[in-house]
Amino acid sequence: MTTLTNPESQKRYARRRRGHKVAMVLSNVATLLGLIALVWILATLLIKGFGGLSLAVFTQSTPPPGNDGGLLNAIYGSVVQTVIATLIGTPIGVLAGTYMAEYGRNTKLATVVRFINDVLLSAPSIVVGLFVYEIMVQPMGHFSAWAGCVALAILVLPVVVRTTEDMLLLVPDSLREAASALGAPRWMVIQKVCYRAARAGLVTGMLLAVARISGETAPLLFTSLNNQFWSTNMNASMANLPVVIFQFATAPYEDWQRLAWVGALLITLAVLTLNIVARTLSAPQSNAR
Amino acid sequence: MQTRPNVELTKTVLTEPTAEALREKVSVRNLNFYYGDYKALKGISLPLYDRKVTAFIGPSGCGKSTLLRILNRMYDLYPGQRAEGEVLLDGKNIIDPKMDLNLLRAQIGMVFQKPTPFPMSIYDNIAFGIRLYEKVPKSEMNDRVEDALKRTALWDEVKDKLHASGLGLSGGQQQRLCIARSIAVRPQVLLLDEPTSALDPISTAKIEELIYQLKVDYTIAIVTHNMQQAARAADFSAFMYLGELVEFGTTDQVFTKPRESRTEDYITGRFG
Amino acid sequence: MTTAVVEPASETSSILSRNRLMDALLRSLTRAAAIIVLVMLGGVIISLVDGALPAIKTFGFSFITTESWNPVTEKFGAAAPIYGTLVTAFIAMLIGVPISIGIAIFITELCPRWLKRPISTAIELLAGIPSIIYGIWGLFILAPLLQAYVQPALIATFENVPMLNNLFAGPPYGIGILTAALILSIMVLPFITSITRDVFETVPPMLKESAYGLGCTTWEVVRHIVLPYSKTGIIGGIMLGLGRALGETMAVTFVIGNAHRIHSSLLAPGTTISASIANEFTEADGVMYTSSLIALGLILFVITFIVLACARLLLARMKKSEGRHS
Repeated sequence: MTTLTNPESQKRYARRRRGHKVAMVLSNVATLLGLIALVWILATLLIKGFGGLSLAVFTQSTPPPGNDGGLLNAIYGSVVQTVIATLIGTPIGVLAGTYMAEYGRNTKLATVVRFINDVLLSAPSIVVGLFVYEIMVQPMGHFSAWAGCVALAILVLPVVVRTTEDMLLLVPDSLREAASALGAPRWMVIQKVCYRAARAGLVTGMLLAVARISGETAPLLFTSLNNQFWSTNMNASMANLPVVIFQFATAPYEDWQRLAWVGALLITLAVLTLNIVARTLSAPQSNAR
Repeated sequence: MQTRPNVELTKTVLTEPTAEALREKVSVRNLNFYYGDYKALKGISLPLYDRKVTAFIGPSGCGKSTLLRILNRMYDLYPGQRAEGEVLLDGKNIIDPKMDLNLLRAQIGMVFQKPTPFPMSIYDNIAFGIRLYEKVPKSEMNDRVEDALKRTALWDEVKDKLHASGLGLSGGQQQRLCIARSIAVRPQVLLLDEPTSALDPISTAKIEELIYQLKVDYTIAIVTHNMQQAARAADFSAFMYLGELVEFGTTDQVFTKPRESRTEDYITGRFG
Repeated sequence: MTTAVVEPASETSSILSRNRLMDALLRSLTRAAAIIVLVMLGGVIISLVDGALPAIKTFGFSFITTESWNPVTEKFGAAAPIYGTLVTAFIAMLIGVPISIGIAIFITELCPRWLKRPISTAIELLAGIPSIIYGIWGLFILAPLLQAYVQPALIATFENVPMLNNLFAGPPYGIGILTAALILSIMVLPFITSITRDVFETVPPMLKESAYGLGCTTWEVVRHIVLPYSKTGIIGGIMLGLGRALGETMAVTFVIGNAHRIHSSLLAPGTTISASIANEFTEADGVMYTSSLIALGLILFVITFIVLACARLLLARMKKSEGRHS
């Protein structure tokens, strides 16, 4: 009973406390490192990006080296391609997610699709770019904005499938049963009850997907490529912010690099805003759970 | 330990508590407890007598588990919970913020509603606690583990699979393993928080038998929902209601001649 | 009443048949969408194999083991990018995993409650930053800093230590394998942290309390209870992070230096599979050059597929056993 007071166990306890202190300090340091990285990157973006911000950025197209210009064509290209990709990817994703959570729940097909979808979700995006190059750019013989849209749509798809399934599974079965007990057919239960109950979650999923693709560069490098000039032709190569940033940042011209930082700031602000909106949208729901 | 103590004898002790010198091992004095702004315990005062079993009874939410968790400062893990008043362990106030919690908890063992074997072997489950404060040679460690398992009547059931995972045992065995783990550290007080609520009747009987044997060496406080269990296992009983201590006395007195009508109503099943 | 069911009025019957039609329609539509997901993956694999075929036929297995990458003589070998991919990802894990686990411990065990959400959100925002931003930041901010201070110090420190002096041999370029690995380690932080935090939170509070009840310190509870309990989940999270690091393209492309050779020094420029493709694909002329790059893509896909499949299986198994415990 008195073991705790003998010097041997006192010493042992002192050593344990030291171990504990060291571990706790290290844990604090780790957190600090993570936060420093975030603040450092965001601060750099703000400082370097705001310096180059001007009206011309939004009114003029990308310049040749040494000239004044803006990012208008790239911003337009990014917005158009992101929107079209979302319009293609979201409906398919919602339908597939619906199958997995409703009609096909617990079927073999749903299990396989879930696994494959997870693989697609974290597959390297550059591989998706290669795929679209193979099926679109090469047969058509030229780069095109359409190809870029398809590549981005393929990235949207798994995100939407995943969130749709997760959100629909959160809808309690008792709600489905209550609706069915009124005599509502399945399609109506899904449409009027399940989708409505999971609405915030579905929108969140779509926003996250948009956030993901609007910063994507790799799959666009050899699908929609880039375009120095203003272009609305979906069958030709089209500028977009990420690729312009890549090209301008790695070029040896100072004015190009300045524009690259502006582009980086714009894209990060857009993506982080989308992330935060998506987060706040889904927050009340996760509290209710 | 040795054989089971004579039940007859225990009963006589129970009915005449004053015949024996009682020493207060733990004294709770005017204890208040808060979950944030909510006052969960209101001015509780009661003793835990040395080497006696004290049962905390009362309807759900009356604060009996809360009281138990104050005795080893478990509430300190959760921000927003605080206690005021005094809880003296051998005359030392453990509510004192300067109290070393790890040392305190090593002196006061606790067993929970559900068995909580650690994700390691049966042997290591018990050796783990011993190693915290003592450097014991291998052979002595084997003895200590064996002793703890024998005291909880688990030795014969597990001696051939000491290095198998503790998760492989049945619920009742797991709970006895958890008791063995607590007493291997050689605490002075044992806190049992509804230790049989997740067990079948046979396992429950075994645990109650164990409590009989353990009070030879330990001061025990047990929270229970089960009136019969309190009547069978406890020397003293404290009936709590809505955060207040309604009645404290020997189990016989509380169950047969309750002073308060609320106690009587609860014990006879009129509410709760 | 009964007659109404047996012989429904024509209006009811038309509603019923419409419902049946709609149900069949929605069912097959959703099913088709689910199958598109499968077809997509199949398509990716087939098109990559098809595109890589010329390179595979010409170089065979030696494609993987050959270091030389020469567009002029059209001799291509993938050893350097494979080496770069594996080494950068490995070092990124070496740095990123302990930090991620440290952050997860801080969030679940140490941090005051009001700070929990802000810190979790901040770390998760790291995942929201586009990879090209990491690249531009790495190239213009981190690399010069490493070149000026960190790398000379590393070179000087390990100059006379056998083995390590090879790993940290100069000159300090700033860009190179180590810089890429550092950036990757920041990028995987949010993924590993959030999964680790989630599995930490599945540890039953009662289990932790019983360890505290024996007199354990917080660190001992983490070390002996929380970590063993959540082992499978953490490994799954690490594999998920590893998959990210292996496939990451833009951030690496900026800072790796794009040199097709295997150098013993971590400070030397190198390349990864994804960086090679990103840098060279649009300029690749000739069937063999393009096909070799696609073959690289195929190898990357296979590597990440294996890693991710393992991660998913581990996480799924963990979910299942969690269901059993409760």
